[in-house]
Amino acid sequence: MPASIVPDYNLEIYGEPCPYPAVATLEAMQSLKAGEVLEVITDCSQSINNIPNDAKNYGYEVLEVSQQGVMLRFLLKK
Amino acid sequence: MWLTFKNQFFIKFWSPFTAVIAAGILSSYFFGLTGSLWAVTGEFTRWGGHVLQWFGAEPETWEYFKIIGLNGTPLDRVGGVMIIGMFGGCMAAVLWANNLKLRMPSSKKRIAQALIGGMIAGFGARLAMGCNLAAFFTGIPQFTLHAWIFAFAAAAGTYIGAKITLMPFFRSSATLKVGGLKKIPKPNPNQVQNRFRLGWLVFAAMVALSLYIMQSSTKLGIAMLMGIIFGLLIERAQICFTSAFRDMWITGRTHMAKAIILGMAVSVIGIYSYVQLGMTPKTLWAGPNAVIGGLLFGIGIVIAGGCETGWMYRALEGQVHFWWVGIGNIVGATILAYYWDVVAEPLATNWDKVNLLDLFGPLGGLGVTYLLLGLSFVLILVWELHFFNKQKSQQQELVAKLAELKVAELKAAPAAIATSATQA
Repeated sequence: MPASIVPDYNLEIYGEPCPYPAVATLEAMQSLKAGEVLEVITDCSQSINNIPNDAKNYGYEVLEVSQQGVMLRFLLKK
Repeated sequence: MWLTFKNQFFIKFWSPFTAVIAAGILSSYFFGLTGSLWAVTGEFTRWGGHVLQWFGAEPETWEYFKIIGLNGTPLDRVGGVMIIGMFGGCMAAVLWANNLKLRMPSSKKRIAQALIGGMIAGFGARLAMGCNLAAFFTGIPQFTLHAWIFAFAAAAGTYIGAKITLMPFFRSSATLKVGGLKKIPKPNPNQVQNRFRLGWLVFAAMVALSLYIMQSSTKLGIAMLMGIIFGLLIERAQICFTSAFRDMWITGRTHMAKAIILGMAVSVIGIYSYVQLGMTPKTLWAGPNAVIGGLLFGIGIVIAGGCETGWMYRALEGQVHFWWVGIGNIVGATILAYYWDVVAEPLATNWDKVNLLDLFGPLGGLGVTYLLLGLSFVLILVWELHFFNKQKSQQQELVAKLAELKVAELKAAPAAIATSATQA
């Protein structure tokens, strides 16, 4: 993981089914200022197809997608 | 070299786009080799029937089970061994990637959602004689009109379902916190290794069982082998038909929906060639049952968070939520089977079984199917454009409003200063 990225906020979503992780992420991104970074950690496997895709569609930058066992981590920049 | 390969194929998730197209091709072969559709809900309904038999009921005398059949055990039926294969394939995939963890629902609300959504979906699917598979993904390639009716009704249902799931009452309680880069505990390497091996053991056992079954019935053995591959595909690529519909409405994401249309497009020509060689496509009543069933199904899968195919792999990953969805599905399907006699004639059996290949002739039917698939694809593109245009204008409105507020604040500021001064 690039050490230079320091997220401004984080969102942990565990045990939640779709669409809640993706919706919560997009709502959180709305409250960020331009240039700020959000870290999303979730154990919802389906998010791998949702969160990065949605982030790009909404014009955010996907800095990182990583998988550690059941845990997924996304770093998104507004 | 092996490590990269292992990481790419067994640990990291696959691209759903490729996987859905692969599933489309495979489902055509499945039809050619077994004579049946790749489908799951019919068999789940039979499992509900078996449970009732254990309690002494006689569901085999019900009209619905006479239509779909309730003979022998799952091991004697194409659908039965295919589903066992699917569960095995999912399990192997889950173990390979160490994607197994008991994930408890975040609240009781979610359990209610899973159970009730699952029941509505199970009931609706069986009323329409199929779920996202037999009445949509593998139904449309059979040229049966009822699948088209079901697909559009289900799309409408998921729109309603999306409105319900996004009501404040159901929202996630996850909150935004300052800071980040939490350390995610590394999984125990021994556990990872053991599970990877166990995954291979499950895989090998399932293949061995298929080969064993193949000794007595080629068809059943092949169905099970293909079930294993379907299972691998849906888990490794997290294929989700529910999200294909729902997320168009919620977040404007159309990736999965487009993949599914392409998957059906490759499947259509395969089924067409089998039909030209003399096989009979599976056609069902194009009646109000497809409309009502599709609507209910669409609402149910979104409330539950997954359909009949979706809960299978999520349940094996340890997502407890989807155990409830599965139970709900089987209960809902069984309730429909019980009440079938009441609704059958007016809603289904009095209506014609319409196949597009008969209606428009073989080439005409093929052309109409591709035309409809193309039209659906265009509709998706138009929706996507509309969705993001609307988003943009809403964003601009918000910015304008904020600017207005600032101006108002500035105007109000001197007065505020004055008041605070007098107070002081």
